[in-house]
Amino acid sequence: MHPTISYLKNKNLLWQANHTQSSDNGQHTGFKELDNALQGGFPEYGVIDIRSQIGIGELRLLLPSILTRQQQRQTELITLIAPPMSINSEMLAEFGFTLDQVMVVQPSLNKQVLWSAEQSLKSGCCHSVVLWHVSLSVTQVKRLQLAAEKGNSLLFIIRQPQQEHISLPVTLGIKLSPSKVGINAQITKRKGSWSNAPFNIYMGAYWPELSQSEDNNVLLFPSRAYRAG
Amino acid sequence: MQNIWLYLYFPNLQLDALLQQNPESNIHSQAYVILDEQTNQVCQLNHTAYQAGIRLGMGLGTAAMLKGDLQVIAYQEAITKNRLNDIAQNLYLVTSDICFFNENSLLLRVHNMLNLYGNLTSYWQVVQHQLLQQKVNFHYATGHSPLAAKLLAIRAWDQVTDNVDTIKQAIQNTSLQHTDLTTKAVEKLQRVGVHTIQALLKIPLADVAKRFDIEVATYIGKLTAQITHPVNFFHPKKHFDRVIELLYDIENIQILQAPLNQLLQNLEQFLKARDLLTQTLVFTLSQRDEKMIELNIHSQQGEYLAKYWAVLISLKLENITLSAPVFAIRLVVENSYIRTPDKSDLFAGKQGRLSRLQLISLLQAKLGEDAVSTPTLNNDYRPERAIQNSKRLAKSIQPFQLYALRPSFLLTPPQRLQEKISIAYGPERIETGWWDTKPITRDYFIAFNQLGQWYWVFKTPRGDWYLHGVFS
Repeated sequence: MHPTISYLKNKNLLWQANHTQSSDNGQHTGFKELDNALQGGFPEYGVIDIRSQIGIGELRLLLPSILTRQQQRQTELITLIAPPMSINSEMLAEFGFTLDQVMVVQPSLNKQVLWSAEQSLKSGCCHSVVLWHVSLSVTQVKRLQLAAEKGNSLLFIIRQPQQEHISLPVTLGIKLSPSKVGINAQITKRKGSWSNAPFNIYMGAYWPELSQSEDNNVLLFPSRAYRAG
Repeated sequence: MQNIWLYLYFPNLQLDALLQQNPESNIHSQAYVILDEQTNQVCQLNHTAYQAGIRLGMGLGTAAMLKGDLQVIAYQEAITKNRLNDIAQNLYLVTSDICFFNENSLLLRVHNMLNLYGNLTSYWQVVQHQLLQQKVNFHYATGHSPLAAKLLAIRAWDQVTDNVDTIKQAIQNTSLQHTDLTTKAVEKLQRVGVHTIQALLKIPLADVAKRFDIEVATYIGKLTAQITHPVNFFHPKKHFDRVIELLYDIENIQILQAPLNQLLQNLEQFLKARDLLTQTLVFTLSQRDEKMIELNIHSQQGEYLAKYWAVLISLKLENITLSAPVFAIRLVVENSYIRTPDKSDLFAGKQGRLSRLQLISLLQAKLGEDAVSTPTLNNDYRPERAIQNSKRLAKSIQPFQLYALRPSFLLTPPQRLQEKISIAYGPERIETGWWDTKPITRDYFIAFNQLGQWYWVFKTPRGDWYLHGVFS
């Protein structure tokens, strides 16, 4: 092989068609269906674009993987930028997060939102950043990608589903829609792979109570024993 | 051991402080004088002004006649004092006994420092090195009494020696004009033919006391070290407080960075020499005809490096506008603490560019203190009281019973439920707070709407439904 090509391959700058991400490269998301669709899990670093409505389980889908990342990198922070409502610390603590490892940033101006995200990503002391934002341009995403690569951190951008017009250079794009048990997901974009058909992610293992059972008279008992996490 | 005193005389303190800010060459070719407005006399001048024939004590009119493009700046005692204080602070690092003799000179007690430095020459080398760093003009002299050293320094003798004869000879040749005696006393002495110190010292002290004022006798006594001269020694301030007067008024934020950086450099030197770190800087920008702007810059992690503070300041400056030109900047650092080395693991692998505290300071500098918080918990059954967002990244209190099935987002305050929902789970009754002003009785349900969004709703005893949270 030509030395330049092998150099580029070693630097991970060159992608070949026969190359698909090996499954052990990703981090398990905590949901079997999603792991299967992503052939392993979320990437180690990069920008993940999630288009979802609020309140259908989009944050809950991320929590197990963020928790895993926190356990792996205990000195680093989770940054939540511009959440649409106030974050309930009780839920985070109950799920197993150490609260002083969580930082909530609420910028007053819209343009400061992306600045905060970039700073947090490239600082190298945040393993995951969750950003609620409306519109993004290609250049902004590229900047965030570079910052995430520099700080080896993962950025989740949660956006409303209707703002879809251009293809952004994100590492991973997921479209979420509500489902009776868990959440419906479709991979819209993924580096080095084709998009698949929509699939259902079963979240009952973590939140058995949050499922629309066919028969509403049956109430599930809220026991911790149900939970895997 | 004989007493030796070193007197340092700084003739151009205010001017040096001003010119130091702008080291460009054209400023030094320009003639500058500092004018004492009370006496209307030139009290400080630079070399170019001296060459033009301007001398100390000249009136403004005469000075302006000698040099057309003369730059005149009003004398401000505060600046001079401040600068002198800085010099004393720096000298304190190498010599212990420093005394402010008047607003433009320092007196150092040398003889007790010689045990440390061995001899006078090596002592003077160290002191001189400190003084040269300050970039000020100075004259110096040693003497066996404070007044003798002063007398020689003022006439710019510029010699350091502990030889009694050399000093005595130098003093004797000095004219009475340079002494601290009043003009009246000098005139009186001149009328009887006493023009130099030598002539004055020839008269026995008892005769002097009889024929002239008692102050002349006291002066001679102090000069010859027959009467001890009481001095108050300087104790350095614990904190950093420095003012710089700008050579030109500054209206542009970008230009303001340069003098701010100069202050930060000074701070860095100050903190580094003492091995200290600080977390808060207070800048005061004095604006012409307007209120002063106070800038508080916080860093979560203690820092001393100028370049680190410069980043935080530039972020802070983005948020302010100057309504009037700035003419002076003051930097005060009240609290500082001893630096402890960071204990980082050499083998921990990838290490971030910033520490988490640095990141928080960075975000707070740009977005404001309130924008960055960390979620904390409060031991209370009421959901809105259980959560709190604290500004500091504080350690949470001891754990307590947490309840499952809590939404990820809370609406503050709860809103009236507006849409049709189906209940999936509930009720969970929370009835508490009867002991204080905000008791609640609520039945909480988990519900979903037609779009499949998960809500946390509650019903009051009166039958009103509220939306309190979203299971995101």
